[in-house]
Order: sequence, then structure tokens, then C-alpha cells
Amino acid sequence: MIQPQTHLNVADNSRARELMCIREAVPNTPLERSEVITAVIISTRKELKRDNGMIIRYDDNAAVVIDQEGNPKGTQIFGAIARELRQLNFTKIVSLAPEVL
Amino acid sequence: MRLEKCWFCSSTVYPGHGIQFVRNDAKIFHFCRSKCHKNFKMKRNPRKVKWTKAYRRLHGKDMTQDSTFEFERKRNRPERYDRNLAENTLKAIKKIDKIRSDRASGHIKNRLKTGKVQRQKEARKQLELGIHLVKAPLALAQDSSLCLPKIKVNVSQTQTEENQPMEE
Repeated sequence: MIQPQTHLNVADNSRARELMCIREAVPNTPLERSEVITAVIISTRKELKRDNGMIIRYDDNAAVVIDQEGNPKGTQIFGAIARELRQLNFTKIVSLAPEVL
Repeated sequence: MRLEKCWFCSSTVYPGHGIQFVRNDAKIFHFCRSKCHKNFKMKRNPRKVKWTKAYRRLHGKDMTQDSTFEFERKRNRPERYDRNLAENTLKAIKKIDKIRSDRASGHIKNRLKTGKVQRQKEARKQLELGIHLVKAPLALAQDSSLCLPKIKVNVSQTQTEENQPMEE
């Protein structure tokens, strides 16, 4: 359950380390400390339910910094990613991910 | 669709059941129900928890090595659908399951055999030592009803081979 004030780990190699969610869909600005940036959530500690009945839960809440088109700002992604991102058209992120679960 | 094994108790997880947990190193843990999930979160080691298959196998309570286990190995290559193959596999699954469960129950029976023999021995010994609790020794000596009585049957010598109806 990602809410405003939730701290998220950043799972890519953009220079951000931790993000705090303020609201959904904020327009992007260059990356600086305490900048407002866009990120997409890739894993949550709260369980996801899938249509095939599978319930999946990750170890942490993580996000990847993206720009306005939805392309990731970094070049590498660490950790596993939820398969739902493919359906939401974040194809670049999915292709960079080491593992999609 | 794939039938997974619960990481904690080793039972099969059918689709629509249980939770999958993905750790940060991308290792997936399947759980069949919240009981196993909660035990995992408590950081319990399944090899020390008595009701799990891991414990039972480790402590020799259940069968560990058998040729029937070879059939259940994890295969990652999908097979092209062949109706005959599918039919034969279904039949084989039933048969192998029966064989495996028979062998497993045989293993447990063997394991419990020594205990049964021991208990009977002890019971016999206890009866010998403690017969005075069952019946007073004096009465035991005097009372002949505790031994099998000897039945005297008078057989008449004049029994002929007439067809006599059987007496019930």
C-alpha cells in the first residue's frame, strides 16, 4: 500500500537512493536531492493478486525513476520486477530487469 | 500452470492457493497456506518443526529414497501435446501414486514394528510380576477354573455308520 509519505527504495542506478511518495503522476525535473521526480513502483510488500489466482509479495517497496515518456532514467535495474509492468507498457524497464516475476 | 511445493511443509500448492514471496535476491518461496507463511515470517526452520515433511524425512520418519520419486522431478521443457502421451501419463500417475503410498505406509509400519514387540514383551512381564493384583495367589492355587478344564467326552462304542443327521 503505497501512500503519500511512503518511503520507497530506488532499484536502479540513477543517483536517487530513496524516494518519498507525495502523489501520483508528477511531471519530471532534473535529478537532485529533494527534487520532485516521477517514479514507477516495481515491487510492493503488500500482496498483489493476479487473475490466475496467484498472490505475490515482495520483500520491499521499490521504484524506478522514470521520465515523462515512461523510460527509466538509469541504465541498470536491480532486483525482481512485477510482471504487471509489461501490461502497463513499461517495456524498457521490463527489458532491463534481471528478473520478471 | 504449475503445481509447486510449499517451501515450509512440502505439500503441493494448487493454483489459487497460497502466497508467493519474492525475496530481494529474487528467490521465490511458495507457501500453501498462511500457517506456513507465518512460520516462515517467524524465521522458523522447517527442519525443526515436527509436522513438516522436511523434519520427517530428516529424522527417518518418512521414506526418503525410492524409485517412485524419480517420476516427480521438476522439468522445465514444455512437452508438445500428444493425446496418447497425456492419457498414458494420467494412468501412470495414478498407479505410481498408489505404489508410492503403499511403500511409504510399509516403511512406517516397519518402523513401528519394533515398538509393538517391545510393548508386548513388557506387558507379558508386567502380568507375570503383578498377577497378585489381578487375583490373590492363594485363590489362584485353589481355583482350578483359571486353567483350561479338561473335558471328558463319553464316546459310545456302538456308533454305526448310519446316516444320522448332524447334531447342532
